[in-house]
Amino acid sequence: MTDSIPNQSTKSARGTPRGSVTEEAAPRATTGNFRALGLFLLRRKGALFGLVGTVLIALIAVFAPTIAPHNPLELDITQGLLPPIWNEGSAPDHLLGTDALGRDILSRIIWGARYSLTISLLSVAIGSSLGFFLGLISGFFGKWVDAIIMRLGDIQLAFPFLLFAIAVLAVSPERNIWNLSLVMGFAQWIVYARLVRSKVLSEKEKDYTRAARALGASPIRVLVRYVLPNSWQIVPVVAMLQIGGFVVVESTLSFLNLGLTPPIPSWGAILSDGRQYMVVSPYMPLLPGLAILITVLCINLASDGLADFFDPKLAKGGFRRYPLGLLPELHEPQREPLLRVRDVTTVFPMEEQVVTAVNRVSFDLERGQILGIVGESGSGKSTLGLSIIQLLDAPGRVVNGQILFQGKDLTRIGDHEMRQVRGKHVGMIFQNPGSSLNPVLSVGYQLRETLQRHHTLSDEVATRRAQEALEAVGIADLQRVLRAFPFELSGGMQQRVMIALAMSCEPELLIADEPSTALDVTTQVQLLDRLDEMRKKTGTSIIFITHDIALLADFADVFMIMYAGQVCEMGQRKQVIEAPQHPYTKALLDSVARTDVPGNQRLAAIPGDPPDPSEVPPGCPFAPRCPRVMPICREANPGIMTLGAGHTVACHLLTAKSA
Amino acid sequence: MGNYFIRRIFQMVFVIWGVVTVTFLIIRIVPGDPARLMEPPGTPEESIQVIRTRLGTDKPIPQQYVEYLANLTRGDLGKPFRGGTSVTEVIAAKLPNTLKLGLVSIIVATTIGSLLGVIAALRQNSLIDKGVLVFVALALATPNFWLAVMLVLIFAIQLHWLPAIDMAGPESYVLPVTALAIVLLPLIVRTVRQSFTEALTEDFVRAARARGLSERRVIFLHVMKVAAIPLVTLVGIQAGFVLGGSLVVESIFNWPGVGNYTLNAIQARDYPMVQGCVLVIASIFVVVNFLVDMTYAFLDPRIKF
Repeated sequence: MTDSIPNQSTKSARGTPRGSVTEEAAPRATTGNFRALGLFLLRRKGALFGLVGTVLIALIAVFAPTIAPHNPLELDITQGLLPPIWNEGSAPDHLLGTDALGRDILSRIIWGARYSLTISLLSVAIGSSLGFFLGLISGFFGKWVDAIIMRLGDIQLAFPFLLFAIAVLAVSPERNIWNLSLVMGFAQWIVYARLVRSKVLSEKEKDYTRAARALGASPIRVLVRYVLPNSWQIVPVVAMLQIGGFVVVESTLSFLNLGLTPPIPSWGAILSDGRQYMVVSPYMPLLPGLAILITVLCINLASDGLADFFDPKLAKGGFRRYPLGLLPELHEPQREPLLRVRDVTTVFPMEEQVVTAVNRVSFDLERGQILGIVGESGSGKSTLGLSIIQLLDAPGRVVNGQILFQGKDLTRIGDHEMRQVRGKHVGMIFQNPGSSLNPVLSVGYQLRETLQRHHTLSDEVATRRAQEALEAVGIADLQRVLRAFPFELSGGMQQRVMIALAMSCEPELLIADEPSTALDVTTQVQLLDRLDEMRKKTGTSIIFITHDIALLADFADVFMIMYAGQVCEMGQRKQVIEAPQHPYTKALLDSVARTDVPGNQRLAAIPGDPPDPSEVPPGCPFAPRCPRVMPICREANPGIMTLGAGHTVACHLLTAKSA
Repeated sequence: MGNYFIRRIFQMVFVIWGVVTVTFLIIRIVPGDPARLMEPPGTPEESIQVIRTRLGTDKPIPQQYVEYLANLTRGDLGKPFRGGTSVTEVIAAKLPNTLKLGLVSIIVATTIGSLLGVIAALRQNSLIDKGVLVFVALALATPNFWLAVMLVLIFAIQLHWLPAIDMAGPESYVLPVTALAIVLLPLIVRTVRQSFTEALTEDFVRAARARGLSERRVIFLHVMKVAAIPLVTLVGIQAGFVLGGSLVVESIFNWPGVGNYTLNAIQARDYPMVQGCVLVIASIFVVVNFLVDMTYAFLDPRIKF
């Protein structure tokens, strides 16, 4: 009996989502890695600058007694209000001059660093330990303990931080390093408590924690052994980010005479003294302020950098622009289809290498025709669709070829002209209708906006046209849907709205990028019927992009099968569905015939995975998975061969057969 | 929505009660007898006893608390110790000035901050973006009381362009507003830049472009409306900074507001006054946050309660 529980737990622990595992592993993998930190700092100049600055200031603070040329408290009225060394009338042994009481300003600023940093660090230590402890018990014990602690937190947050500190310090009889740090740190407990609490709550639900409790481990043991080790990491990161703020707060308090009791040198106090003499000696308030600014800047830069290093989620990679390739000579089109794509190559220049997502694709699309582009994810089919409408994600771009739409090369017309084409002449439907509709604008607004963009319409007419557009996609409940926000509609309804939006201006071409993926089978069929109907009515050509060849079997007129950015087979429905030539097309069709499992599962019948788009093998890209692979397939790309009218195949088997 | 509203009101009332209790306790629990602190050392015990009676601190704490709460429900914050008839009246007279200064600062900071944030987000990694980020880092590190002092030094004392102190005419707003806004600006720029960058990568942006909408419309309507939502939350936090910051800034510019008055009361060790000011400032903060949450609910139709 007892044996079975740990077994169960190890089994399900393996099943925890990948995200949480890497999240825990990441800090451990990086903490000890000084080399990685060094490299990181070299890349992040700001962080390096901040870290070096912080270390220097910390050293100044530690060695203040030896560095400071004078005793910061030493009075000498005869030497009062001396200017800094670069002004006339200065004394050589007072580099930054003296204050009204003849105290050496440089020495006071150096000592100020010592007090400022000590108090800030102590405050952070107090606030984070208290917050960590309260967050831990709040999250772990839950119920009324949690309720009380969190409500106390609400109250704490109701006080503007500075106000709270001022209120407490105003009634404190004495102000030394300890009670200052206590007051400043105390107010921050809730920041840590909330973070730690949420971490504990998620730790508590992890399988190994549950298993330990099921085995009868005492709560304290569970807390110390399982929850604590995985909950503390967030604390130092936040603590680091807070230090700079504390330096400012400490100086603000001492500026208000609520910091360390005078005559102890504190930056805020020096500034406050200097303020009274700023007319005669403007440097007096300027210098301590600069000390604060530089210190806080260095600490912030260093802690931001370190936080990014330990929490790489925030890190982001840069990219460089790829020079535009030379366009090949233009061929005069003999007859003019609606869309003529020639030799289109789309690349994503990444930091390390250039990823070719679409590789020399060509096809024609006639008016009223439906083209089905079929391929697995990563085959470049969606990128091809986005290349046509010129909405590639940065840094992607079409570096080669032509996209002739109604005779105009879309790769060459400017942004302005392209915007006239989009929506009015080329519409597009995207994969996730939910996220493709603006969440905070109503359906009616989005429809009217699109209509009014392309036609001069009064609001009234636009509303009527919007209703017609919704009617055309079979929405009966017009008034409700017009007023609705996208999140108030079902997935199927959202998809219809997307279609209505794309078709509202009756474009000549509609690109549908996996519009059916998010839908159930019945809705998928309805979607196709709807599109077919619209095509018949308006004569719109459709490019339907999908991974599901079976879905299109009765729908598309022309098929294009893509693999690793290349076209492997293209032809009329009859040619491709009934007499496929490419082994990949055959495999796709076979897998449909063999199994009845829905969606992606069908492709699982083809052994192996599509190649990583960044390392497409030489030769035929399908060769590693091809059941009929020949030696030549691994060496040379077959190129495109024409079989019959409009039927092209890229496979060495054809040449082997004819030879 | 209705339920959420009611729940949130209850929560607000509870937090205000907590604030009331904490302000009450701060003065009584911190070691040191306020009556003794109010007078110079060496004051005879009898006079101190008189002060205790006037403050009411001679009674047991629970009794003081009940009386304090009872007075509060009548809007009575007690009598100031040094001059003035009632704390409520004094605060009521000063509060509008603090609110005016705070509101102008928030408006100025939000306008400039959003603009910079949007520009930085649209031109990421450009020179402008880098410039904005450097400004953010510098502004974050600038203590605002120091900036206030420097502004006075440069623009009032050296150049004589602007008045250094007091509230008189629109030009007297320039320096204090700058000093307050410098605290808010970097936070706003950061938030806007971040939320804008995120919103730009959403599917609906591409979908809007695919419908041929003008870039101006995509950015300033579709993206802005979504990206503005975090900004509203920030206003709540801003209110805290402005109210806290107003203590220092009002005192430097001798602004006739609650913040300045609070510090004066602290200096004069006028505890009833301090208590009243702290309570009012904290309560305003609570109410502002409540309003922000409500606005949030209206702005984002996705939020269901």
